[in-house]
Amino acid sequence: MHSILAVDDSASMRQMVSFTLKNAGFNVVEAVDGQDAWDKAGKADFDLVLTDQNMPRMDGISLTRKLRENPRFKSTPILILTTESSDQMKQAGRAAGATGWLVKPFDPSKLIEVIGKVIR
Amino acid sequence: MGEPSPHSAASQGAGIDLSQFFQVFFEEAGENLERMEQMLLAIDIEAADEETLNAIFRCAHSVKGGAATFGFADVAELTHQMETLLDKLRRHELQPTTAMVDVLLESGDALKAQLARHQGSGDDPIETEALLRTIRALVEGGEGGVGAPLARPLAVQDAVSRGACASVSSPAPIVTTVRALVLTVGPLADPRQAENLFELFREIPDLGTIEPLDGGQAIDGVRRLRIVTTTPDAELIDLCTFHVAREALRLEPATEGYGFHAGAPGAPPEPDPPDPGYGFFENAPGGPQGQGDEAVAPAPAAVAAPPVVPGAASTPRTAPSRPAASGAESSTLRVSVEKVDQLINLVGELVITQAMLAQTGKGVDTALYQQLASGLADLERNTRDLQEAVMSIRMIPMSVVFNRFPRMLRDLAGKLGKKVELVTQGEATELDKGVIEKITDPLTHLVRNSCDHGIELPAERLARGKPETGIVTLVASHQGGSIVIEVRDDGKGLSRRKLLAKARERGLDVHDGMSDQDVYGLIFAPGFSTASEVTDVSGRGVGMDVVKKNIVALGGSVEIDSAEGHGMTVRVRLPLTLAIMDGMSVGVADECYILPLSSVVESFQVQPGMIRTIGGSGRVVEVRDEYMPVIDLERVFDVPRFDFEKAADIMVVVEAEGGRAALLVDELIGQQQIVVKNLEANYRRVDDVSGATILGDGRVALILDVGALVRRSRH
Repeated sequence: MHSILAVDDSASMRQMVSFTLKNAGFNVVEAVDGQDAWDKAGKADFDLVLTDQNMPRMDGISLTRKLRENPRFKSTPILILTTESSDQMKQAGRAAGATGWLVKPFDPSKLIEVIGKVIR
Repeated sequence: MGEPSPHSAASQGAGIDLSQFFQVFFEEAGENLERMEQMLLAIDIEAADEETLNAIFRCAHSVKGGAATFGFADVAELTHQMETLLDKLRRHELQPTTAMVDVLLESGDALKAQLARHQGSGDDPIETEALLRTIRALVEGGEGGVGAPLARPLAVQDAVSRGACASVSSPAPIVTTVRALVLTVGPLADPRQAENLFELFREIPDLGTIEPLDGGQAIDGVRRLRIVTTTPDAELIDLCTFHVAREALRLEPATEGYGFHAGAPGAPPEPDPPDPGYGFFENAPGGPQGQGDEAVAPAPAAVAAPPVVPGAASTPRTAPSRPAASGAESSTLRVSVEKVDQLINLVGELVITQAMLAQTGKGVDTALYQQLASGLADLERNTRDLQEAVMSIRMIPMSVVFNRFPRMLRDLAGKLGKKVELVTQGEATELDKGVIEKITDPLTHLVRNSCDHGIELPAERLARGKPETGIVTLVASHQGGSIVIEVRDDGKGLSRRKLLAKARERGLDVHDGMSDQDVYGLIFAPGFSTASEVTDVSGRGVGMDVVKKNIVALGGSVEIDSAEGHGMTVRVRLPLTLAIMDGMSVGVADECYILPLSSVVESFQVQPGMIRTIGGSGRVVEVRDEYMPVIDLERVFDVPRFDFEKAADIMVVVEAEGGRAALLVDELIGQQQIVVKNLEANYRRVDDVSGATILGDGRVALILDVGALVRRSRH
């Protein structure tokens, strides 16, 4: 079973994402912000990291940057969930080493579809 | 898994019913709005710090994200506007003003109403058009160009278009179908034509939002725009044809955005799907697998399989270790109050059982049953720890109540033309959830009263040599087994003379010799109001008596302190929790009574001659130069006594409602924690008794209402 680290500071979003992923047969670990995700990434491996961008303590882009510095996450797919789909935001994600982005709001089927492209 | 059309209601997706997440969203949104309000109230307009602005932005942002995901279009709409304004503030593109804080606060109220409506209370749609317009004006005001010509720099255009989204004040359905669409315009000879569409969305507020997907740049004369709307496609196209030829318009559902960066680690084979909603970066780690054209990408997402294990060669991905993962869920848990209460009840029963065991254990020979004795001692300690831990689940900080006052005072002071500052102390003091809920209204009334009747108008204050701004102070603190909440103001205070005059006018039984305490206590009399005029802010004299009644019903008490011209203090004393208290058990003949330990001051053996009889029936005892009334419990409760040789010779001094009395009892049995059982609910109200409990030996003991006993002794 693939394991996904789902990072969002909003409990309802976290719950929705987590439920959707678990329903689709993934193992999910939740983190409440970038810092929490970073701590959790230190303790386990993941097949995919799904992170919100705007969060307290550590945002999604900073988390991506940090994860990429760790050899264990060098090639792990990292998707940034964002409400802004501006080019600026995309470039920042790219520069940090993100694999891709997903614009909020999205519906559960879209999430599974996108994840299906990087995990199988 | 169904194939949901992009037009399906937002609450359905991938066969998952999103409504199951609504409750969490509502709670979370409520918390975010609460936090936002507090920060807005605390903000220093002159020097707003970045951290706060960011945090406020994040609150709005978070609510918006959830609302959009779960299909609450009106909420998403309003938060989107707020976010636009807040974004400009945090980027220092605009300077915060009081007008902004006001409109953001009002928007917060509107959002709360919208959320309440979605939760099923109240069915009138919330009118937000004026708010939206005000926010938009504030956002644009900073640009210096309301209604500026179309041909403005693209960057500005972009910003305006983001701010220019409109109200989808959908009246009827609770969950509106919000659709995200991609509008392709072109090829156009002059791509600027497309700019007119932004204007269109600005003019028709109900249309929705539009923003460029191409950063304002036309590619081969084609512009791509993202539209979020509830308007049907045909209608949308019709409207757009006012500005652009129909042939040049193509509307597609935006398959809710994602994308991969070409070559990004793990990006899928097709480098850039037409879909604007998501994307993978080229060469970025972890991107989708496949024989993509970019062979540069390292084996995506695969932890390089150790070559030593030939069997694993067919699986490029080594199974990541994840035993640690499952334990690491989020750090808080929402549990229904019923479950907690059930737990508390069970622990209460356990405490009784433990007390019974301890009682029985006293009878056995500890030398013979040493292990049993130490086991019982452990049980007692563990039970107590367990009980404390369980009770603490229900404990919530006073800040929950205090936090509603800054806003209330701000509005109230504005309405009354007064200047009031609120100071709070001890917000972290914890109190049982049940007590907090019941104390909120009485406290609100007291704070309101302080502002309305206590604090003077600025001019009057200046004339009296006080600072213009009045101060209302709220203090919560632990004192023994109870919590004390003080509402202080530095206003005009209570006038003894006026109170007495008013009382006489009302035909109340008063005299000049009354103590200050008693005179001040008059304001708790039903129908007593000292304000010469009735305002719509504080009630019409009903209120203070209700306040007192509510507090007393909680097992608490109220005291007033005042100095005319300098202000007044209302001191509310409450038990920490309603379910459990520390009690002292006392024996009277064969009966056992419980005194709340918090009210016990001291106890001593009565010496002959200590008790004096005064004025006929009253008896007093002198303790360290202080005379206090003696209450003979045997007489109060008509306790039958069969052993006439024995007389009550122990005094327990108790204190309540600002007075002291000495209770005459036979013996002190001991101190113990007791589980309070409501007598009224199980039997009926009994004078001088506040409840009952079950003792270790299974007997029922009454808990004495010390306040009532002290009151009785005064007459």
